[in-house]
Amino acid sequence: MKAIAVHLDRCTGCKTCELYCATERGSNAKTLLQAVQETPLPQARVRVEGSSEVPIALQCRQCAQAPCVDSCLTGALRRDPESGTVVIHENDCIGCWTCTLFCPYGVIYPWPERKIALKCDRCLYMESPVCVDACPTNALELVDIEKYEEFTRRKRLETAAGLQENEHLAGKLLLDLVQTR
Amino acid sequence: MDAVIVGGGVAGMQAALAFRWQWPDKTITLVDTEKEVGYYRTLLPQFMNQTMTEKKLFFWGLQDDPRLKVISGVTVESVDPRNRCLFLDNHEKVYYRRLLIASGGRPIVPGVCSPRDCNGIFPVRSLTVAREARDWLPKHPEVVVVGGGLVGVKTAAHLAGHNFSVSLIEKENQLLPQALSAAASRLVEAHLQQKNIRLLLGSTVEDVQVSQGKIGAVQAGGKWLPCQTLFVAAGSLPELNLLRDSDLLNEDRLEVTPGLQTLDKNIFAAGDAVTIVKDGLFTPWTWPQAVVQGKLAAQNMYSSSPKSLNCLSRVNCMNLNGLSLVVLGVPVPGAQVSIYSRPKDGIYRELFHRDGKIVGGALIGNISNGGRLHGMMNSGENVEIGFDELLKPQINTFFKGSPSCTRYNRRASVLQPEGV
Repeated sequence: MKAIAVHLDRCTGCKTCELYCATERGSNAKTLLQAVQETPLPQARVRVEGSSEVPIALQCRQCAQAPCVDSCLTGALRRDPESGTVVIHENDCIGCWTCTLFCPYGVIYPWPERKIALKCDRCLYMESPVCVDACPTNALELVDIEKYEEFTRRKRLETAAGLQENEHLAGKLLLDLVQTR
Repeated sequence: MDAVIVGGGVAGMQAALAFRWQWPDKTITLVDTEKEVGYYRTLLPQFMNQTMTEKKLFFWGLQDDPRLKVISGVTVESVDPRNRCLFLDNHEKVYYRRLLIASGGRPIVPGVCSPRDCNGIFPVRSLTVAREARDWLPKHPEVVVVGGGLVGVKTAAHLAGHNFSVSLIEKENQLLPQALSAAASRLVEAHLQQKNIRLLLGSTVEDVQVSQGKIGAVQAGGKWLPCQTLFVAAGSLPELNLLRDSDLLNEDRLEVTPGLQTLDKNIFAAGDAVTIVKDGLFTPWTWPQAVVQGKLAAQNMYSSSPKSLNCLSRVNCMNLNGLSLVVLGVPVPGAQVSIYSRPKDGIYRELFHRDGKIVGGALIGNISNGGRLHGMMNSGENVEIGFDELLKPQINTFFKGSPSCTRYNRRASVLQPEGV
């Protein structure tokens, strides 16, 4: 299974991903110039959040046990059996917003004008996600979940090793302090 | 039969789905009084106003499962826990190894609202009644709804604007008294009034007028309201008739542990039928709770290490025909209140908090960050950035005061360069 991950050091918060997502996935015209003139205004499924110092592009993480799928009143939110992606079937969505309340990551958004909820489906029926293609700094990357989990496991081990080393240093400092007294 | 579920509402259905997933080799039977099982009761108002087809109400997805048997249109009359047996009203018996009672609730219909031989009165609860109401409504557009709880408010909100004249009667002085504070409910009241719904708060039905076998008028607060259709949404009581001769009830309550087990270790219960005992008595009878409880009960039925419910709140969310509404919980004694209000835009957001943790609240008109606030409340997370800041409906709120990347890691798949 794939996931869209973000390189924190490369994201500049330019919101190009938002523009392209809204245009490609939310507009009728599919061109930016025409999309901005549409009513209702097309909405993006990826949102750039964070501070101006540390921006970050956020989208659905396709949880293995997805609270949004469990909470959906109409069954509009369903998991694609092949890719594992959670997809909103817009024809079945009635805009009750229950999924937005049960997403702990806050990455499902109400679109009141169209009475549907919006979430990233990794552009399931396209060659690749439009945000990944459009990102000018390659901050967004489509990765294998397994590869990403291996990455986070390694980071956790490194962090734990660092903590152990710090504890050792702290103990040594305490010992020095006691001996000095 | 390895397991039997009584009740095909959302708790029973979710339990059946979860049980088949959790225990693929075990067999299960679901028994329900209604002819159809597996529909969304919360969507009945949209069905009655004809904006939703009947097909869309159903979420049933196990019809072809050979290990799942459905007995519909049959009522369980009694339970014999000693012999692990259910007695059905068609004189059949069903034996079980584990039993889940998810029999739901039955609507409370005040005596004054149930005159003899009178058409046009509908308790809002089942699809059968909703079908009758749907057929009845077009020729009887003067509607009165009794009860200003979630069901009554939703019914009134969805009927308004479809050529119906709607009045809503609530005995308390505010709408949604079990879900919202008085201040928050004012916005809901304003929204309904904007839809030309006549509100009679602090009133009860005093009398009804019947003419030619049909409801003709309703008296409330000393006034007579013309009424051709009367919806009764005055709450519900647990449907526990099947247990009346058993030893499972305590003062008419079906009490369960946080793991949803009854006094009998082979019998579990979930949804609107139960009272949960955990440092007090809890009756969180909401749709999201029914889903969670149904799944948990199914998992615990054969588990050697049963899990407990970790959330007993009455969290809910809805779109009241144009007004978005999130309920995190009613005011808690001793809790402080933080409020963000923009009356001109119809936005009111409040949080109840104690010892730096969210314990309830409501978001009305703008439900931004609802999912994250709900998550924080559930996990008992300490709020670091101040509640006033947290209430602002801006997506960047959660990043303020927390420059650390560790927070982001929980919400995005972050690929960091070496050394960061």
